[in-house]
Amino acid sequence: MWSGKGKTAIVGVGYSQLTRHSQKPLGLLAIDACQAAMADAGVAPEQIDGLTTYPELPALGAGNRDGEDIVSVMYILNQLPLASDIRWYAQIEAGMIASPVIEAVHALLAGACDYVLVWRALHQPRGRYGAWSSTRASGEAQFVAPYGATSIFQWHAMQWQRYMHKYGATREHLATFVTNSRRNANLNPRAFFYTTPMTHDDYLASRWIAEPLCLFDCDIPVEGCVALVLTTAARARDLRNPPAYIAGYGQNTSRRRTLFHYALDDYIACGQSLATKLWASSGLGPRDMDAAQLYDGFSPSTLYWLEAAGFCGAGEAWSFIQDGRIALEGELPVNTFGGSLSEGRLHGMGHIAEAVFQVTGRAEQRQISGAAAVCAIDGSPMLRGSGLVVTKEA
Amino acid sequence: MAEQQQRPLPAADELTRPFWDAARQHRLVVQQCSACGYFNHPPRTVCDACQSQTLAFVPVSGKGTVYTFSVMFQQNIAGFEQQVPYVNLLVELDEQPRLFMVANLPGSEREQVKIGGRVEVYFEDVNEEISLPMFRVIAE
Repeated sequence: MWSGKGKTAIVGVGYSQLTRHSQKPLGLLAIDACQAAMADAGVAPEQIDGLTTYPELPALGAGNRDGEDIVSVMYILNQLPLASDIRWYAQIEAGMIASPVIEAVHALLAGACDYVLVWRALHQPRGRYGAWSSTRASGEAQFVAPYGATSIFQWHAMQWQRYMHKYGATREHLATFVTNSRRNANLNPRAFFYTTPMTHDDYLASRWIAEPLCLFDCDIPVEGCVALVLTTAARARDLRNPPAYIAGYGQNTSRRRTLFHYALDDYIACGQSLATKLWASSGLGPRDMDAAQLYDGFSPSTLYWLEAAGFCGAGEAWSFIQDGRIALEGELPVNTFGGSLSEGRLHGMGHIAEAVFQVTGRAEQRQISGAAAVCAIDGSPMLRGSGLVVTKEA
Repeated sequence: MAEQQQRPLPAADELTRPFWDAARQHRLVVQQCSACGYFNHPPRTVCDACQSQTLAFVPVSGKGTVYTFSVMFQQNIAGFEQQVPYVNLLVELDEQPRLFMVANLPGSEREQVKIGGRVEVYFEDVNEEISLPMFRVIAE
């Protein structure tokens, strides 16, 4: 078991507004979220002495103007009146959203700083998301773009087709997952789809994006930011909210590089490798989780994570999610806040925030009873991934 | 008629030029490791299997099996606006398990595509320099 287990905690969560297209520049949304997180924690801006983020913009060829398209460590350092003397910062370019949180944990354990602000700001580029306009396909794109294959949803569509073929799943089975997420979002006032219910028939009637994936299999792009405050367990006890202790973590990535040239089994194997580290470090296993917040940039990812992390067997996730098992009142509530499909695309920060809310008893209408340990895992699961287990007790 | 943008075309580089030169001659070649025999596609600077840097392009049969596919409906990619819906195919070549190529197949064959179905390569001459390997369904 990891020697750092229970020695650090998430003590504050802050959200900016989440809208399709904000009138406010992204940098100001990030400041809103950071200020909300500090206020939530009861930590003064002058006490923050560590900063970290994962600033990557998830669109090829989009701009990267700091404060408009991305929000870097330097932007927050310059714009937010924080500690006069920042002691530690790091900008994470690999992994996913749990990765800067993991770096914050390392910095706190090393004594590099006392209070860390972590944020993820996401901007939605104008025009059609993920569009490809170049007539030149260079690098590895020369083997996919000439075939009109450039988007991550096409990659997911192909692998979900394979999954359905291999294991006998259907679109109706996936509908159960998507509508359950929406039902949870209808209890989450921050969710983009808070006031919009969805039935199975609504799902089945929605238009194809890349068959077999439809519009509602894709997360809803929003502009906004979520920020967290972390500190050591010793300091956490004196703060405003109950701490969500970091019990363990895992990271993984694949050595292979091309977007499309993967087998379905590669996805699951990559996720299993991450999950093995997550469970080993925390000393907990899938059966110890009271809820699971599993990344859903596209709906099949959550099913792959259920299998990769051992919540069910290989090829079983589509049946596992039926019969109310993943509902708020079920045996394993999944994406209790609605996930990226319904709260909005925050690249996993929403998943971490919800894990914190659940173990600290702050999930309001969505609160599940007796939530002592919850995991939040990001990634597809291929390519990039990172995950955390947070617990009520240290 | 409004001028329509061409589909994205491969910009061959030092690593990939042999592949596209062969395609221009309607031959399918894949980079193979001279040390261990492993096929690498897309081409690599080091072998995925043994990290050798001795790699050469060799002819392959051009036959394979449909590992999976999807049908693209979104008008996301300049040059493909008039083609939606079209099929994206992931072909597993006969030469090696998990030796994948991405391709399209003729629009008329959309209803015939199925996982496990057999396909073979053909070449579409896009302009004077570029021929794209494509795949079509074959009877087994």
